Amino acid sequence: MATLELNGVVKRFDDTPIIHGADLSVGDGELVVFVGPSGCGKSTLLRMIAGLETLSDGQVVINGERIDHRPPSERGIAMVFQSYALYPHKDVRGNLGFALKHAGVDKIEIARRVDEAAAILGLESMMERRPRELSGGQRQRVAIGRAIVREPDVFLFDEPLSNLDAALRVHMRVEILKLHQRLGATMVYVTHDQVEAMTLADRIVVLRAGRIEQIGSPLQLYREPDNTFVAGFIGSPAMNLLDVTVDQGRLQLAGQPIDEIDTPPEASTLGLRPEHLRVCDAGTGLTGQVVVAEHLGGEAIVHLALPDGQVVVAKLDGDAELRPGDALSLTLRDNGARHLFDVKGLRLRTP
Amino acid sequence: MTSGQRLSSTALHAILIAWSVLALFPLVLIVINSWKSRGGIFREPLALPGAETFSAKGYAAVLTNSDFPLFFGNSLIVTGVSLLLILLFGAMAAHALSEYRFRGNTLLGLYLILGIMVPIRIGTVALLELIVDLNLANTLTALILVYTAQGLPIAVFIFSEFLRSVSREIKDSARIDGLSEYRIFFEVVVPLVRPVIATVAVFSMIPIWNDLWFPLILSPGEDTRTVTLGVQQFIGQYNVDWGAVLAALSVAILPVLVMYVVFSRQLIRGITAGAVKG
Amino acid sequence: MRRRTWTAGTSPSDAFQGEAGAVALVSASRDAVRPAPGERAASRHYIWVFLAPATLIYTVFAIYPIVESLRLSLFDRPDGVVGGTDAFVGLANYARLFGEPYWVDQFTNAFANNLVLFVMHLLIQNPIALALAAILSTPTLRGAATYRTIFFLPTLLSVVVVGFIWQLILSPLWGITPDALAAIGLGDWFAPWLGLESSALTTITLISIWQYVGIPLMLFYAGLLNVPEEVIEAARIDGLTGFWIFWKVKLPLILPTLGLVTILTYIGNFTASFDLIYSVQGGLAGPDGSTDVMGTFLFRSFFGFQSQQGDIHMGATVASMLFVIILVGVGAYLFGVQRRLRRYD
Repeated sequence: MATLELNGVVKRFDDTPIIHGADLSVGDGELVVFVGPSGCGKSTLLRMIAGLETLSDGQVVINGERIDHRPPSERGIAMVFQSYALYPHKDVRGNLGFALKHAGVDKIEIARRVDEAAAILGLESMMERRPRELSGGQRQRVAIGRAIVREPDVFLFDEPLSNLDAALRVHMRVEILKLHQRLGATMVYVTHDQVEAMTLADRIVVLRAGRIEQIGSPLQLYREPDNTFVAGFIGSPAMNLLDVTVDQGRLQLAGQPIDEIDTPPEASTLGLRPEHLRVCDAGTGLTGQVVVAEHLGGEAIVHLALPDGQVVVAKLDGDAELRPGDALSLTLRDNGARHLFDVKGLRLRTP
Repeated sequence: MTSGQRLSSTALHAILIAWSVLALFPLVLIVINSWKSRGGIFREPLALPGAETFSAKGYAAVLTNSDFPLFFGNSLIVTGVSLLLILLFGAMAAHALSEYRFRGNTLLGLYLILGIMVPIRIGTVALLELIVDLNLANTLTALILVYTAQGLPIAVFIFSEFLRSVSREIKDSARIDGLSEYRIFFEVVVPLVRPVIATVAVFSMIPIWNDLWFPLILSPGEDTRTVTLGVQQFIGQYNVDWGAVLAALSVAILPVLVMYVVFSRQLIRGITAGAVKG
Repeated sequence: MRRRTWTAGTSPSDAFQGEAGAVALVSASRDAVRPAPGERAASRHYIWVFLAPATLIYTVFAIYPIVESLRLSLFDRPDGVVGGTDAFVGLANYARLFGEPYWVDQFTNAFANNLVLFVMHLLIQNPIALALAAILSTPTLRGAATYRTIFFLPTLLSVVVVGFIWQLILSPLWGITPDALAAIGLGDWFAPWLGLESSALTTITLISIWQYVGIPLMLFYAGLLNVPEEVIEAARIDGLTGFWIFWKVKLPLILPTLGLVTILTYIGNFTASFDLIYSVQGGLAGPDGSTDVMGTFLFRSFFGFQSQQGDIHMGATVASMLFVIILVGVGAYLFGVQRRLRRYD
């Protein structure tokens, strides 16, 4: 299908930069997810690829051709909007075929593509209905179908699941994943939900305040976050980021030495994932008092207060009968990892 | 912007400017010429008042020979009071219709809204008789009552549509706090409808201010003339003295123009914000 | 007792969709505060306090007069004695209206003229308003606010002012129009249009259009602004440009507004047209009745003018006919147009 490149893309509103020089290379058939907190610029970046926003600087390249000077309809892209943006006055068939009809494609070809998209998305039984007669999930599928019909080089998704309720969101996530496997198309997907990002992406682009913080596969970002922002953003519950000091090569947390390994003196923050912690014998490891225990049945999320006031969150076995006030000691599981960051929040390579 | 887009943008502006000229040109003409002498008006209508042609005689005639301040005051009173009553009573009725459940709610709502489609002028014959019987002929009160009745249906409609979309929670929380329904209306609901007040005001105000029919029929007396009627009579009297006539027209236009330019942003925001989609 | 909360998504912009908002009011009442157990509606006196002023004024000064006028049309004063008691004459007045040449000629003339006035407004004013609104609503337009202010100005003016301004401009004495036409080579074209039977109605109608373009303009503008932004973006991605976006996406979505504007134009043209014509052409709507419309005819009928005597009962009869004319239009709108125009939400 297609490759997509962003080279030094910058966006300024008046003189204020919104996007600071984004560089990205998307391979053919990849599903790349832009993720980040509100206002990080992910939607703006997507809209610049679509042509709904102009670039202040830089280039957007699709299949080796520079396209940032072209209007949206000539870029080989198709977009799925957060609010679906279906044409209210047309039925499903009309919505799917609208762009092709306007472009003068012949009727037989339109029908072929429309029927094919309808089959892929399970829309055959509602082709004559209007958007107002459809549920949220059905409207979303029509919006996706409208994009499929155009046979674009790159699919763009702008938070398509945000308007759906939680259960439907989970279901549609799987549908989109299956769609990607079936079409093998290059897709750029924007979301603020890191779970969506982790489950859908071939690679994730984490954005903050207009800058790309890290690009990598979900597992890469999970195992090797480049900085404390990415570390805390990926994974739920969020990674514990604890203030630590180093004394003679040994890591000190809450006044206690906790490690035998040689630790670089620049280490300032220790990252521990809640799911990497387990209960150990009293008095060893990290010891403190339980503040909150959330029992979810299969697992228990326990908040442990350390002597220096910092709180550690751990995801423990559901059987752990812990209550506020109990004393508890935690240590790393065998497959667990500790992440070290310096005072600026950047990852330190562990020896 | 591609050059194709820039071109059509010029064309669009050309159309808009053309219509702007068409809309403004008569007004500009009037105001310019109201400051000219008779000769100046005739010989060079399009020229600005120059040293030779400047004359304030028209305005003098207007201000001395007619009661324009009185007429203007009458219009102001009638329009202002009517507007106030329309807004207040309209909001009250709309609040009752949209907030409370009672028998006849639907029917009453339909009844009140009927007036939008049925113009009040049809009942003028009986209205005049009624006004005379109530001893209200040639009073501003008559006009106020009629205009209020005329403006209520659309006010009730717009307000109740708007109030429907406002969440009940803030009113319920006030009830829990112990506020009476009256206080809830004045202190909670009224501030809430602010966005649409401008819409209702514009829809109501213009037909009242510019109306010729009811002042002519119900209150043509010298004391109770509105500015619309006053200008019309003045023109009838002075139609040869163009300077005076033009001055009269300018006097009639100017206050409205000033107020409009000052408030235009709110006005238009009001119309387009909570506005009628059809 | 379970209370349903009214979900977001309804807005004043939904106002005129559906059957005159009546359905909306019905739904609202289902949601409203129920009386507490033991409390009857009657004891919630505040409801009636809220409703009373509006209902009272409206009934006394709007509804009653209309009903009474209709009633008066069924009566007459025997011997034409003023102050005498009215006698019920059934449809005799209507027979006079449609039987006596004096009356029926005036009626048909006024009705025909009014129809022409309406059709001209429909075919000239509303398309112009739509075009201007379409241009104004393009998002990249600069100075839109200024244009809007200017376009709405004539509508604010008193109709007397407007009538007279144009009388002056078109006057053969002043020379503005003749000179302007001469400048573009159409000097021969000029005529005292307002004074000629053949052209007076057209000229007055154009003046009225000049003034009132602002109202449909605003309504169309509001309607166009209400088209969701993302639908327009989707259209851009689908390859549509400015004009086509208007034609294929925006226009279909504001058809309800178009319907509303049409019926409002209809009602306004049949009632409010009086003001302009009266102030420009006088109560007799000259020249030779060529600008007579239902409004001026009604005025003359019951109020009298110059040599024509006023007759309350014939006036009421004319008013009733006007009422019928309007009802027919409104009925056609509500049942024909509204039914077919579905909401798109």
